[in-house]
Amino acid sequence: MSTDRKHSSDLLPLFEFSNIINSSLELDFILSTVLRTLMGKMLVTRGMILLKREGKLFQIIAAKGLSDSVIRQNILIEHPSRSIQQTKKNVRGNQDWMDFLVLHQQSLIIPILSQNRIVGTITLGERLTKSPFSALDKKIIQSLVNLSGSAIEKALIIDQVKEVNRNLDRKIQELNTLFDLSKEFNIGLDEKKVVRLVTFALLGQIGVKSYAICIRNEDELNVTASKLEGSAALKNILPDLCDLSKSVKTQDLLKLKAYRVAAAELIKMGITAVVPMHIQQKTNGMILLGERLRGGVYSQADLEFLYSVGNLAIISIENARLFKTAIEKQRMEDELQIAQEIQQGLLPEKLPAIPQFDIAALTISSKEVGGDYYDVITRKRDEYILAIGDVSGKGTPAALLMANVQAALRALAPLCTSVAETTGQINDLTCANTRGGSRFITFFWGILDAQSHRFLYTNAGHNPPFLLRKNGTMEKLEDGGMILGIFKTAEPYAESSVTLTSGDVLVMYTDGVSEAMNKDNEQFTEERLENILKKSTTLSAKEIIHQIQKELDLHTQATPQSDDITMLVLKAL
Amino acid sequence: MIDFKIHQRDSEDVSVIELKGYLDAHTAPDLETAFQKLITENKFNIVVNCRDLSYISSAGLGVFMAYVEDIRKNKGDIKLTNMTPKVYNVFDLLGFPILYEIYKDEQEAVVRFHEPKK
Repeated sequence: MSTDRKHSSDLLPLFEFSNIINSSLELDFILSTVLRTLMGKMLVTRGMILLKREGKLFQIIAAKGLSDSVIRQNILIEHPSRSIQQTKKNVRGNQDWMDFLVLHQQSLIIPILSQNRIVGTITLGERLTKSPFSALDKKIIQSLVNLSGSAIEKALIIDQVKEVNRNLDRKIQELNTLFDLSKEFNIGLDEKKVVRLVTFALLGQIGVKSYAICIRNEDELNVTASKLEGSAALKNILPDLCDLSKSVKTQDLLKLKAYRVAAAELIKMGITAVVPMHIQQKTNGMILLGERLRGGVYSQADLEFLYSVGNLAIISIENARLFKTAIEKQRMEDELQIAQEIQQGLLPEKLPAIPQFDIAALTISSKEVGGDYYDVITRKRDEYILAIGDVSGKGTPAALLMANVQAALRALAPLCTSVAETTGQINDLTCANTRGGSRFITFFWGILDAQSHRFLYTNAGHNPPFLLRKNGTMEKLEDGGMILGIFKTAEPYAESSVTLTSGDVLVMYTDGVSEAMNKDNEQFTEERLENILKKSTTLSAKEIIHQIQKELDLHTQATPQSDDITMLVLKAL
Repeated sequence: MIDFKIHQRDSEDVSVIELKGYLDAHTAPDLETAFQKLITENKFNIVVNCRDLSYISSAGLGVFMAYVEDIRKNKGDIKLTNMTPKVYNVFDLLGFPILYEIYKDEQEAVVRFHEPKK
């Protein structure tokens, strides 16, 4: 009877205990309360609570009277007991678990059950009184633990929901980051800024402490940003990693034979993971991750996130490069267009009619603008200036220099008394514009007196024009001096005169004619030109040009023209 | 376009940086410039007041990470204050509270710089 009364007096605290733990959702509070209550009631000085994690793995969540270092320890329990039991030594299968309990002076093991499933285990040490736990004690202990089972499970589920929510938040955060970065990448940044932003993502999102970012330039991966000791040595390892198809930890890489050497080197440098940056299956960059600021390893989700960031970044870098190339190409095309316009503007629109002479000209520009020039100017009644020239180089600079020469000729020639002297003046002016010989001009010009049929000329290093006499003999007009634009005139140029009688033909041309290439890289040659001319004594100036052009086409077939072709033909009628 | 503003004021040996608006990948370089300027001026005691910061992205957090080591090496620190719950949540998610001292109030953080170092 007396024991019954004692039992009923125990009911009130039991009820109170149940109320307290069931009103809380805080796991730590519940576990502490359970452990404290058990220890207080049973006069025990040491105890701990383990909760089931995965399979047979249990984790110590709360401990009292023991070193704090046991908390969070994981313990493997092969055969967790479903009923209260004493710690025993040498129990088959559960040896490690029992040894651990003996080590920490735990003598009683109580399962925590919720809906008949084991959710954890409580262990208690010896009582302060050293007296063993009676059957009744065990009954009370089990009752208290049973009362707490569902509260613990409820709190565990809440914790799990919180964890799931947090993971979800983290995922949303990752997506926000990707969105934020891709928005910024799309603005069209240069490589430096893109790499900087990737760095911020590494630091901010993942908490990477050391890293290196490598970007392909032409054929090589170069380290473009690094917070890693000795990243210069990476250059030799990177080529071995170019065929990685996804992010990988260096420890896993070590297991693959093909990467073993590279992985060992990376690990030596403190690199723990490699994230390739792909564009159309090509590795155009790489992110190498060192340690983490908060410690711990990179999760698969971290690596996948960085893989996405890396790919966004490399596409942006590639776009920036393509854009730059396109702009440069456009700029060059524009420049070419300007040069072509200058060149076209310099050539005479229409040749003046020269009494008793037949004159024709042709110029064919190559794709890249060259520097051919010809001119026919009326000097005064019955006097005409004929000129042909070839400026070295191509493009706008050549076109501008040609414009200079033309301006000099047009300014000086109308007043000149000596072709040779004027050539010297043109040379001096040209030298001032070439600033000492980086460019030069071959130039031939002369003054035709239509009355006397006398042609006074100077040849400044130009392909000697042919003078084809009516009888088929050939002369070359070579007298003059050196090419324009190299040295200031020290030695005067020479001048000569020839007289064109009826049927004589003067053929001026540029080296685009004599050096026109066929597909076998063979030149047209001066000899061939000479031979054509010898057979052309009866043709008009225009027909002679047509004939040469026809032969040129036969020679070159469809070989692209590499230089301008210019011809100026004068025939005495 | 919601913009981002940085205002700096120095009180004694502590520089207070007030952030306003959106700190994301687009505006992160502005904050970077501000930190670079502080470092060249040898101002390493920095309090970042986030009262008017309405959003922070991880690129923004990255800027803090990129400079904190330098600043701590020079016996300074970046302390953060007055965060709205939304901004704090991002810091918390990415594990920043264990890396930075975060205070409710700017004055608390300023005072910390004047306490003898442990």
